[in-house]
Amino acid sequence: MLRFATARLARAGLTIAMVVTFAFVVLRLSGDPAQIIMGADAPPEAIDAFRTAWGLDEPVWVQYLSYFSAILQGDLGRSMRDGRDAIVLVTERIPATLALTLPALLIKIGLGIPAGIFAALHRNSLADRIVMVVAVAGFTVPSFVLGLLLVLVFAVQLGWLPSGGQESWRHAILPVITLGLGGAAVLARFTRSAMLEVLGQPYIRTASAKGVPWRSVVTGHALPNAAIPTVTIIGFMVGSLIAGAVVVESVFSWPGVGRLLVVAVSNRDLAVVQCILLLVAVTMVCANLIVDLLYGLLDPRLRSGTRKAG
Amino acid sequence: MATITRRGALAAAAAATLARPALAQADDRPALTIAVQRLSNSNTFEPPREQSNVGFRLHNIYSEPLIETDWLGDLSLRPGLTTAWRRIDARTVEFTLREGVRFHDGREMTAEDVAFSFGPRLFGTQGATGAGRSTVLAGTAGKEPPAEVIAVARRTYPGLERIEVLGRHSLRFVNHTPDITLEGRIAQSVGAVFSRAAFDAAESWLAWGRAPVGTGPYRIAEYRPDTMLILEAHDAYWGGRPPARRLRFVEVPEVSGRMNGLFSGEYDFACDIPPDQITVVERNARFEVLGSPINNIRKLAFDKSNPVLADARIRRAMTHLVDRRTIVDALWAGRTEIPRGMQLESYGAMYLRDWDNPRHDPAEARRLLREANYRGEPITYRLLNNYYTNQVNNAQIVVESFRSAGLNVQIEMKENFSQVTERSPGRGLRDWSNTSLFGDPVAGILRAFGPRTEATRTGEWISAEFDRVSTALESETDLERRRGHFRRVLELLEREDPAYIVLHQAAAFTAKRRDIAWRASKGWAMEFRAGNLRVGA
Repeated sequence: MLRFATARLARAGLTIAMVVTFAFVVLRLSGDPAQIIMGADAPPEAIDAFRTAWGLDEPVWVQYLSYFSAILQGDLGRSMRDGRDAIVLVTERIPATLALTLPALLIKIGLGIPAGIFAALHRNSLADRIVMVVAVAGFTVPSFVLGLLLVLVFAVQLGWLPSGGQESWRHAILPVITLGLGGAAVLARFTRSAMLEVLGQPYIRTASAKGVPWRSVVTGHALPNAAIPTVTIIGFMVGSLIAGAVVVESVFSWPGVGRLLVVAVSNRDLAVVQCILLLVAVTMVCANLIVDLLYGLLDPRLRSGTRKAG
Repeated sequence: MATITRRGALAAAAAATLARPALAQADDRPALTIAVQRLSNSNTFEPPREQSNVGFRLHNIYSEPLIETDWLGDLSLRPGLTTAWRRIDARTVEFTLREGVRFHDGREMTAEDVAFSFGPRLFGTQGATGAGRSTVLAGTAGKEPPAEVIAVARRTYPGLERIEVLGRHSLRFVNHTPDITLEGRIAQSVGAVFSRAAFDAAESWLAWGRAPVGTGPYRIAEYRPDTMLILEAHDAYWGGRPPARRLRFVEVPEVSGRMNGLFSGEYDFACDIPPDQITVVERNARFEVLGSPINNIRKLAFDKSNPVLADARIRRAMTHLVDRRTIVDALWAGRTEIPRGMQLESYGAMYLRDWDNPRHDPAEARRLLREANYRGEPITYRLLNNYYTNQVNNAQIVVESFRSAGLNVQIEMKENFSQVTERSPGRGLRDWSNTSLFGDPVAGILRAFGPRTEATRTGEWISAEFDRVSTALESETDLERRRGHFRRVLELLEREDPAYIVLHQAAAFTAKRRDIAWRASKGWAMEFRAGNLRVGA
C-alpha cells in the first residue's frame, strides 16, 4: 500500500513539474512580458528597467532554475503586473469561480444523471429521443454561443437578468446555467450509455426473472453498476472546478480564476499562470484520488482486489 | 454609556427630517456606468505606470497636470491648475498656481505638492538626473517608485534639472538644456499633480498607485482589479461641481458584452466600439455612437534590415500602393481622417500645411519595382489579430494592393507585440501607431524613431541623418529652423528612406444612451466635468 501511495505521489509530482516546465517554456519563449505589460509605445528605458527589475534580462535557463527552486521552497512568485504575491491574487479569485462552478456542478448532476437514467429506461421512445437531441445540442453548442444566446433572451429582450458582472446573486444565474447545461448534457449521455450497457447484463435479467420488482432492479443492481463511468466524469468536473469556467467568465465578465488566467497568459505574467496551473493540477490529483476511493465504495471487488479483467 | 433622552430623540428626529431633503438634493446627480474593454494594464492608476490608451482614458478624471489640454476642442494647451505661465528663458518656465485648488483628501494644493509630484513621486530618491537632484523631499522612504516609472519620467522630462519653489503658489521649472516644448511635456498626464501628504500616508507604492490622490473632478473610491473602478464626485473641485455623483467603470472584455449591457440598460456608456458595430447600435433609437479622429495615427512600418526592404525603392513603391480613402470609407464608414503625413493640425505653428502623403499611384509603384529589379522575393507582414481596430481587414486590403503590383507580401499571424518586433529572419512589415502626447512633433514621431527609441534598438529603422536632425529639432528654439528640421524629418521618414506608410488617424467610438448629452474628446480621454454631461437631454 505504501509503495502504491508513494508511486502515485511521485507520479503526481512529476506531472506537476512537467506542467510547470511546459508552461514556463511556452510562455517565456512566446513573448516578452516587459514589452507586453509596458505596452507597445513604452520607451526602451522603461522596458529595460522592467526587465532588470524582474530578472528577465537573465538567460532563460537561469530564470527557469531560479523559478523552479523558488517553487520548491514554496515561493510561487509575484505578479509582474502589480508586484503582489501570485498566490494571493489567485486565492482572491477562487470564491468567485466557485460561486459559479459549484452551483453549476449541482445542475450538471441534478439534471444530467436523472435525464440519462430516464432516457435509458425509455430507450428508443420519443422521450428518449427528445432527451438525447437536447443532450447532443447541449453537448455540441459552445458555451460562448449558449451564453450569448441566454444574454440576448434574458438580459436584452426580456430584461429579467443582468448580462454580466458580479454584483449580486442575480448576476450569477446566466453563467451558472450556461456552465450547468453543457455539463448536464455530457453527464446525461454518459449515464444513458452506462445504464444501457448495465441493463443488458445477465444479472439484470436474472434479477428480473427472479421476480425482483423492476424499481429494485434498477436502484439495487443497475444504478450502482452504471455509476463508475458517471463518477469518473463527475471526477473530471470536480477537477475543473477551479479553472473550468474560462470562457464563461470572459463572456459574462465574471472576475474569477478563469478571467485571471486569460489576462495573465496574455500578459505573460508567468508567476500567476504557474500558480493557477499548480492549483488546477493539485485539484485534478485530489479529484482523481477521490474518484479512486469512490470506485472502491461502488464496486466491492475493487476494494478486495478480486475484480478480474474481461 | 450613552443615554437617550426624549429631548435628544426629538432633536435627532428633527435633524433627520431636515437632513433628508438635503441628502436627496445631494444625490440627485446621476450615477453612471461605463463599460470598457480594460480598466488598467498594470492594476494601478499612477499615470507614468499606465501610459497607454487604457490609462489615457481615465487620467484626467482623477488627476490633472499644471497645464490642461483642450480635449474637447483643438487639443491646445490652456490654464488648469496653473492660471498663468511665462517663459523666463529657453530653459526656464515660471508658473502661477491656481489658489484654492483642493486635493481629494481636502488639502489645498501648493507649490510643494508640485515639487513633490515632479520629484520623489516620479524619480524616487535618485532624482530626475540621478545624483545631484536639488529638490529632496522627506517622507517617501520605502515607497520608491518602480524602476519603469522612473524610466518613463526620465524619458518624459529628459532635461529637467530642478524645480524652484518661489512661494506657496508660484514655482519655476528649470531645464539643463533649452526646451521649447517644456510646457507641452508638463501638460502630459505623467506630470499630474498629486498630494504629497497622501503619498506620505500611503502604506506602500502599490497602495498609492491604486488610489493616487489628485485634484481631478472625481476621486478614486474603490478598485477591484479586472472588475470595476468606482469614482465619486469631488465636490470641492475647482472647476465646478461634477455633474455625476458617481462614475462606475466596469471591465467587459467582449464587445458583445458591452453592447448587450448597453441595450439591456445596465450600462450608460459602452466604450471601444468597432466601426462595423455603429449601425447595429444606432438601429435602436435610444442609443447613439459618438467618436471622432483622435491624436493617434495608424501606420504600416517597414523593417529596413529586411534584405528585400533594404532597397528604399521597394519601400517607396509600397507607399504609392495604399489607397487610404478606400480604407477609410470601407472600414471606418468615412468617420476618420487621413492626416497629411505623420502630423496633426494641433501642432499649430509646427504643422506643415503643404506636406502630404505619397500619392496613390500604382504605375509609379510598378516603375520603382522594375527599377529595383524586384523578382517576387517574399516579404513577411507580421500581423496581430485586431490589436488595432480593423487591423486584420486593413491588412487584407493593403496586401491585395501590394499584390496587384506584383509584390509577394505574406501575412504571418502573431500573438503579441514582442513576437512582431522580435529581431529574427522574416521581419518585414508590421502595424504600428503613433500618439502625439501634445501638439509638437517631439511628442509624436520622435517618440518612435531616433537615437533612444525601440526602432533603433531593434534595428528596424536607423538613419544617422535622421538622428542628427531629430536631435536638433528637440533642442532648437527658433520656430522657422524647427519647421525646417521637421520637414527634413518627414522627408526622410516618408519619402527618401521610408520608415512607414501613414494609413489614417485612429478614431475612438463610444456608444451611449441618446438622452445623455455628452461629447467625445479628440483623444483617448473621457471628459465628465461640468459642461460636458447632462442626463435627460
